[in-house]
Amino acid sequence: MDIFHQKIRQSIADEALQKALDGNAERRVKSRINAFASLPNWRARRQQAHAIRADVIEHLDEYLEQFIQRAQQNGIIVHRASNAAEAVQRVFEIAENPKNPRKSATGLLFAKAKSMISEEIELNHALEAAGQRVVETDLGEYIVQLRHEKPAHIITPAVHLRRAQVGQLFHEKLGIPYTEDIPTLVNTARKVLREVFLNADVGISGVNFGVAETGTLTLVTNEGNGRMCTTLPPVHIALMGMERLVPTLDDLALFLSLLPRSATGQKLSVYTQLIHAPENGQQKHLIIVDNGRSKLRNSPLKEALYCIRCGACLNACPVFRELGGHSYLGADGALAPYPGPIGSVISPGLLGENFVQLAQASSLCGACKEACPVDIDLPKMLLRIRAGKLEADSGPGGLGLPGVVKLALSAYSRIAAHPRLFSVSQKLAGWFSRPLPLFIPVPALTGWGYSKDLPKPAAKPFRARWEESGKIVESGPVEWRQENQETVDTSFPASLSPSLPDRFATELTAIGGHVYPVRADELPEKLIAFLRERGLDRLEMWDEIPGLDAAQLAQSGMRVQPFPQGAAENQAGLTGALAGIADTGSLVIPGGPGRPLTASLVPAIHIAVLRASQILPSLEQAIRLPEIATAPASVLITGPSRTADIEMTLTIGAHGPAELHVFLVDDAAGK
Amino acid sequence: MPTLQLFVTCLVDTFYPETGQAIVSILRRLGVTVEFPPGQTCCGQPAYNAGLRNEARPVAEHTIQVFEAAPGDVIVPSGSCAVMLKHGYPELFAADPRWLPRARALAARTYEFSEYLVDVLGVTDLGARWPGTLTYHASCHPNRHLGVDRQPRALLAAVRDAVIVDLPASEECCGFGGVFSVEHPELSAEMLQRKISNLQISASPTLVVTEAGCRMHIAGGLSKQKKPQRVVHIAEVLNSR
Repeated sequence: MDIFHQKIRQSIADEALQKALDGNAERRVKSRINAFASLPNWRARRQQAHAIRADVIEHLDEYLEQFIQRAQQNGIIVHRASNAAEAVQRVFEIAENPKNPRKSATGLLFAKAKSMISEEIELNHALEAAGQRVVETDLGEYIVQLRHEKPAHIITPAVHLRRAQVGQLFHEKLGIPYTEDIPTLVNTARKVLREVFLNADVGISGVNFGVAETGTLTLVTNEGNGRMCTTLPPVHIALMGMERLVPTLDDLALFLSLLPRSATGQKLSVYTQLIHAPENGQQKHLIIVDNGRSKLRNSPLKEALYCIRCGACLNACPVFRELGGHSYLGADGALAPYPGPIGSVISPGLLGENFVQLAQASSLCGACKEACPVDIDLPKMLLRIRAGKLEADSGPGGLGLPGVVKLALSAYSRIAAHPRLFSVSQKLAGWFSRPLPLFIPVPALTGWGYSKDLPKPAAKPFRARWEESGKIVESGPVEWRQENQETVDTSFPASLSPSLPDRFATELTAIGGHVYPVRADELPEKLIAFLRERGLDRLEMWDEIPGLDAAQLAQSGMRVQPFPQGAAENQAGLTGALAGIADTGSLVIPGGPGRPLTASLVPAIHIAVLRASQILPSLEQAIRLPEIATAPASVLITGPSRTADIEMTLTIGAHGPAELHVFLVDDAAGK
Repeated sequence: MPTLQLFVTCLVDTFYPETGQAIVSILRRLGVTVEFPPGQTCCGQPAYNAGLRNEARPVAEHTIQVFEAAPGDVIVPSGSCAVMLKHGYPELFAADPRWLPRARALAARTYEFSEYLVDVLGVTDLGARWPGTLTYHASCHPNRHLGVDRQPRALLAAVRDAVIVDLPASEECCGFGGVFSVEHPELSAEMLQRKISNLQISASPTLVVTEAGCRMHIAGGLSKQKKPQRVVHIAEVLNSR
């Protein structure tokens, strides 16, 4: 038995794994469906998203040129890498530049946010082999790194583990007493990784979307580690697959309505970063990686490049539910960088024939296509791989199948092309009243009997009965009535249209934020009372927050300390906001001089002042605010930081603030 | 009323001829002229799904020729075979200007059986009677690849005396997948087990399908485990009275 089949048996026999995967499938699929219920026109959006991705891939060279030009104008240093080795080489060159400020005396410390392309190019392996320290900072990634494993899922890397296994791991590796309490485990990781963020020489991240018209790098995360890795180290390197572009900010808004819903069932992820330019003397590099994508783009598998890496197809796939991400092996036993349905297409598509056998591990049920937010026809792609259409339009068929199966199927096909032969073999099968190897040859030869009995051929097949057609017809026509065809009602109940501030408050509260409506004249007093009550007197703060006087805070005994001086001491960050988003309960927080992004990231509590008149209905309006395209970076904050990387158990408070308090100033008089 | 061609499919022909008979009875009762082109064999799906396109092509060409010579729509009592004709053939001949138009012409007049009853003939109540409990497995090919789901459910809802109960995770694959069930018997078995467990939870003694592959697969599993439930094609339910 080959190594892939051995691994399959092993995974199926692994009870802890099966429990974890069952939980993943059941909860993730449900939460995705619930999330899409809040997007009434999602079917139209999905088709629009498909069309946009098709256009981008069709005209990729032009969009890339525009994107790179804008990014460079914004001050991002752009590199191209044609393959994995080149991409790794670029990272080394950038990181080891002697002119960079060094935080650590010996070796370099890399703080890494989650990035599938870094897995694809095996960056960690290369860095570690060169003696550098690289720390994965997404909780799931951190766990698998401690276990010396690779991620088992593109969104939830530790999906294969149960809490007891994580408890044991942290006990052994981090020296804490054994616990199965998930908040304790999360808090332990928070403490360990906080040191990494503050001391890292280089931050590495992926990119969810590049926006061609503005050169924007978009990153979507929940824990806050991504923001730490991109904001705090003196050098930030973003790695991006060359296909990950959308043309405009409007298109980005569309994709942001689909990606988090598909990935984690959220309307928006907690942090949506829109990065344009370096700030505070930081260097920002972008490495755009080809690594087989140009080849894939000119192949019959082109559509696979439409993928936005949401992982929905993995969660929907009945085969992934049995295997998890660690069983997708190539012929040589190598682990495919991308698991699940999309992985079974892009792994062979990018890396070649070693992984074609993955395409046979599908019943072609189509659950993946149905779940895909950009409607990639994954079953069709899998069929093309099986037919050998990896590159040109021809190739040997039956890829990934044993010779005997191919032989049997071609024998059956030859019979089926000749009706008389077909009829004779059928009769023979009937005479023997058991399956004739030639007729249904495959099951007879191999694995069918594993779990089921073979059907018994009828003594007289249909065609024979037809010939005696008199016997077929029963009685004459009966009365039947025609009924109206059922139509599927896709409309949503008419909204009671609560006001924008009410919607904002409802949404934010639902995801764990707190909203305090105040009158403009009572803002300072109420805010100071809140700080006092909570014992918060060390703050990081924006230079200017409308309606709030820093002197007033100082008089009340509050000490304002900027980052990094106050990094360890500051208990809360106090910010304004550019806008609020009613649909999702999000704050739009721009960066720039006097508006440090660290204030909404580093302290454990984030307090924001938002005026009711700043609340916009949806992301579509917010993304078009002029400051979005001009600020060096902005972040949409949708609730307190969170993680669900251990058993999908939602835990509030990962690396970013664990509390989010919004003082909502009623300035909308007359509304 | 129209004349139409029955493409009975190799599985129904060989293993479930009673399904073919039920279809003929139902359609004739509705006043439709049913014809059965005798040269028909298999649609070529086994080889096509395995990636053996050169082997599948002659079978597809044969099927196209057989039905080209016959008038009217083509009715298929098995969703995946309908998908093969409707989507597989145009993909198979995508680069063949001689066969592609012929493949498309056949695709355009091909219907899965329940789809044809409801969407073309506009019938849901066939006067059928089934004293007992039924549950429906939404096979992947009709459900996801053809968008055929409300049609069989509407047909079943009109059956007199039948109690229709939900099958939990009705739309989940049973694990057949043709060559998949042979190449990956372990995975197939796990998926089949979930389907059988859900059938037990439904407490229905009878599972209704519109797909011959699922029928063979699930029935094979039930038989192997000596379970009492049985699997029937929807035509057999609709033809009962």
